[in-house]
Amino acid sequence: MRLPDRLAIGDLLGTATIVALGLFALFLLVAPSVIVLIISFDTRAFVSFPPQGFTFDWYLRVFEQRVLVEAMLNSLQVGITVTLLCIILGVPTALVCVRGQFRGTTALSIFVLIPHMVPGIVLGVAVLFAAAAIGVSPSIGLQSISITVFVLAVMVRTLMSRLQRMDPALEEAAANLGASPFQTLRTVTFPLLMPAILAGAVFTFIEGFDNISVAIFTHGFRDRPLPVELLALVQTTNTPLVAAVSGVQIVLAIVALILVASSIGLDGVND
Amino acid sequence: MVAIPAPPDRQKPVDWLMDKLLSGQGVWPAVPAILILVIVAVIPFVMLLSLGFSDFSVSRGQIIDQTFSMRHLGNVLTDPLYWTTFQRSMSLALSTTAICLLLGYPVAYLFLIGGRWTRRAILIVTIAPLLTSGIVRTYAWLVILGGRGVLNNALLGMGLIDQPLRIVNTHWAVLIGMVQIHLPVMILPLIAVMSRHDRSLEEASANLGASRMGTLRHVILPLSAPGIGTGAALVFTLSYTTFVVPQLLGGGNYLNAATMIYEQVVYSLEWSKASVMSLLLMASCLVVLVGIALVTNHFTRWTRGRQG
Repeated sequence: MRLPDRLAIGDLLGTATIVALGLFALFLLVAPSVIVLIISFDTRAFVSFPPQGFTFDWYLRVFEQRVLVEAMLNSLQVGITVTLLCIILGVPTALVCVRGQFRGTTALSIFVLIPHMVPGIVLGVAVLFAAAAIGVSPSIGLQSISITVFVLAVMVRTLMSRLQRMDPALEEAAANLGASPFQTLRTVTFPLLMPAILAGAVFTFIEGFDNISVAIFTHGFRDRPLPVELLALVQTTNTPLVAAVSGVQIVLAIVALILVASSIGLDGVND
Repeated sequence: MVAIPAPPDRQKPVDWLMDKLLSGQGVWPAVPAILILVIVAVIPFVMLLSLGFSDFSVSRGQIIDQTFSMRHLGNVLTDPLYWTTFQRSMSLALSTTAICLLLGYPVAYLFLIGGRWTRRAILIVTIAPLLTSGIVRTYAWLVILGGRGVLNNALLGMGLIDQPLRIVNTHWAVLIGMVQIHLPVMILPLIAVMSRHDRSLEEASANLGASRMGTLRHVILPLSAPGIGTGAALVFTLSYTTFVVPQLLGGGNYLNAATMIYEQVVYSLEWSKASVMSLLLMASCLVVLVGIALVTNHFTRWTRGRQG
């Protein structure tokens, strides 16, 4: 009788430890953002906790700072460019990788996926040096194209997993019913691919907007993107201003999360 | 039977293009992507390789007078400063990976045993941080761990300490920040593997009299080996090559390989050293990744052997 008892207690302890660690980890994931959000409404001019008042002032100040607004606009431009490029380049590539009836489709998909596995800092340094060698100076364009190369893999992977689960009979049916290939693409393939394109777009946009490891080496000297500006700001100021910028980004993240959840579902993120 | 040939004028060029695209004949729809990858990734990488093995000078942001030389590689390899820096990066990344696994696995386990709403909550909490910038998340730790930060205020308030602990600008701050920032990247592959599990295996294990821990150790853990491998590889790569966290939480005097490359490129303009260090960073990262893959493979094969 003693053995099972001891086992049961051990079992209970083990489960309790795991549950406690898991809850602690979840708390660790949430707490920082919550604290930043709370601080962004503080009335004092230095960062401290708990806050002593409530104001929207810091948020207004964010949009009064020309440097920050310009940085946001720059990042917005990069994010949109990266997303569009990833869609234009990624959709045909994913189609070839999944449907290609020739040798080398696997090699092609590996080739497309590899740049995302290279550390961002190495890619950034490589692009900066290569551009310098041919006399191209860093700019929003260079930054956008570098980040595109870095995250194209995310778009292609999302599209490929969707395509692999798609029933080719649907497109065949459209063709048999007399639809031209263009009509098939427009009325059958694209609508079926849309959720994957949207999910891929959310992630590539976020990477374009937020990336620092590639961006810090390739951004234009005058056109600093938001992450680069923020990095400098965090190191030099101790006001809730940064918290307010963070607050704006957290709200954007929630919007993105809702977009992902309604396009491919949260479970789809892993595919 | 009369074969009716398709009228040639109906096949418009657009349709011909689209047909190729849909049926997967030929590689050409992927050519634009391949070209851009070659120009913006392959060629720059080859040039980085060539710069690492050459003498050159930089003038007005342009590289001139490039000649072959092993000098810089030799300099870096014989300088103890670089060895300590790489060691620091390596131990920081390895401990981050280990702690992320220790904290991430229980979350994935909660996901496995949890109901629909628990699962949804875990997914939201895990994915949301990935959508906010790393700088914002690092900034949060400055607020929490700082001299007048949340943690110190709480500990002072409870009377546990007399004066604020100095956490920011130490190894510990960097480690804490690293773990929290890379935790989601560990959890997601684990969850992916676990949600593909055949639940009947666990039920069988329980029916055969195994305890919860027994089932975890002998059934769930071996089956999730691929997820552990993927998660560990991702967390290691990211924490080994990031400069944001050490730069901010280490207060500029905590150098890892990535922050050093950053300073060489942006501030001291030592591009030859930066090239060599980038190459070494990538090579050493690759060695660890291969190691992780081998270990994962070993355990996966072991599981398959047991199953078959």
